[in-house]
Amino acid sequence: MTPLQSIVVGYDGSPDADTAVRWALRLATPTSASVTVVHATGILEHLGTRFSRDQTPPALVAIAKECEFDEGRLHWFVDEGDACSVLLRAAGPPIAADLLVVGSRGQGKRAGFLLGSTSLEVTKHAATPVVVVPSGYALP
Amino acid sequence: MVLVVNGAYDDAGHADPGHPERPDRVTAARAAVRDLHLEGDLVVVDPYAATRRELARVHDGGYLDELGAYCYEGGGDIDQDTYATFDSWSIARHAAGGGLSVIRELQRRNDGVGFVAARPPGHHALADRAMGFCLLNNVAVAAAELLARGERVLIVDWDVHHGNGTQQIFWDEPDVLYVSTHQWPLFPGSGSASEVGGTHALDRTVNIPLPPGATGDVVRRGLEEVAAPVIDAFRPTWVLVSAGFDAHRADPLADLQLTSGDFAEMARSVAGFAPGPGRLALFLEGGYDLDALRSSIRSTLSAVLGGSRDADGLSHGGTDTEHVAKVQRDRVAALDMARSIDDEETTL
Repeated sequence: MTPLQSIVVGYDGSPDADTAVRWALRLATPTSASVTVVHATGILEHLGTRFSRDQTPPALVAIAKECEFDEGRLHWFVDEGDACSVLLRAAGPPIAADLLVVGSRGQGKRAGFLLGSTSLEVTKHAATPVVVVPSGYALP
Repeated sequence: MVLVVNGAYDDAGHADPGHPERPDRVTAARAAVRDLHLEGDLVVVDPYAATRRELARVHDGGYLDELGAYCYEGGGDIDQDTYATFDSWSIARHAAGGGLSVIRELQRRNDGVGFVAARPPGHHALADRAMGFCLLNNVAVAAAELLARGERVLIVDWDVHHGNGTQQIFWDEPDVLYVSTHQWPLFPGSGSASEVGGTHALDRTVNIPLPPGATGDVVRRGLEEVAAPVIDAFRPTWVLVSAGFDAHRADPLADLQLTSGDFAEMARSVAGFAPGPGRLALFLEGGYDLDALRSSIRSTLSAVLGGSRDADGLSHGGTDTEHVAKVQRDRVAALDMARSIDDEETTL
């Protein structure tokens, strides 16, 4: 099996997404894999963008520093669409992820329902391996 | 010619404070119908809650169960754009049922034009997922009913966002032709010209993506030069329109530059694809500036009912005139590629 080269993490600014990013950076640190953090721009973000397309959010830069991850291997990508579709597209060119990482529950999700669960939808449809980092997971 | 519209039902319960997909939109749509002063030429049909059997033609049973239960438990945010409330399940079923009522009345009369003024909109709703403000795919539910009766259905989607749900649902269905004009890149990210349909339905998806700032002249050229030859070859027996009005230049959720006059012109052109009276119905999708929504619906309906040209003129000059030719090249290349793969698989 070839070593991991490209890891993609879904990001919506929620605490669970931060945890997923930390998990991915820890995984990538001893390898040469790049980590691309992907944000999905919904319809409403046209009224006011939450994240810059061109600049990695300071919160992510801080997490990379905390994890002592080489910032040169950390990439930021904003794409149009719902979170599930954007993550599935990230498995294709140009990012060509060989691992998708998502938090188990993003912003505003209601416990006990599968409806709107990005992690469930991604695992259902992805052709690449997916890691779902549980909500509140404490990294060792 | 009569206009057949669905009657009002209480949609106030599907609302989220500050959200642009709000009950006032249907109020504006109904005001636009009143503006036409149709009197005896206006037929109002009762909407009803679409049945599970009718919805299950296009939606997974598990998804319908989950959505119903989610609403019953009080609802909440489904994703960053989409919400549901306790009332949303009933309201969404009435939106889908309103579409079915309108097409049945058109069939019964074999005359008239239909307009489904209902919400929430539907064209982003996938078979198994709500998204993009949409819970149930209203136009797809109507198309599936027509399909079950042996019709060949053209769906023209001029909402500014690509109708990914409708495209997905009919991706491999040879008796549905899906044509979409939309801004790209923009939510939901799908809708490139190279998406041309599944193995059993090659050339049954026609996407005409438009760059931000595009004006009505490019949309019209796209419909005439890219879509019309495919539609003519398809020979639809019914035409449904996913009529979003958020490509209007005043809309806050996108960047196209259309006028209400442009919508009227598109409507005239699309109405020409219907094989006869009683075989054209328009379904409200997006459109979030209430004044633009009202004037655009008024112009559109006036146009399909044979009214005169709109006072609000046509827009021009918003983008490179070569854009449509590039869309056509991308489509042809994708079709060639898909057919060559199909040939290889047949040979093997």
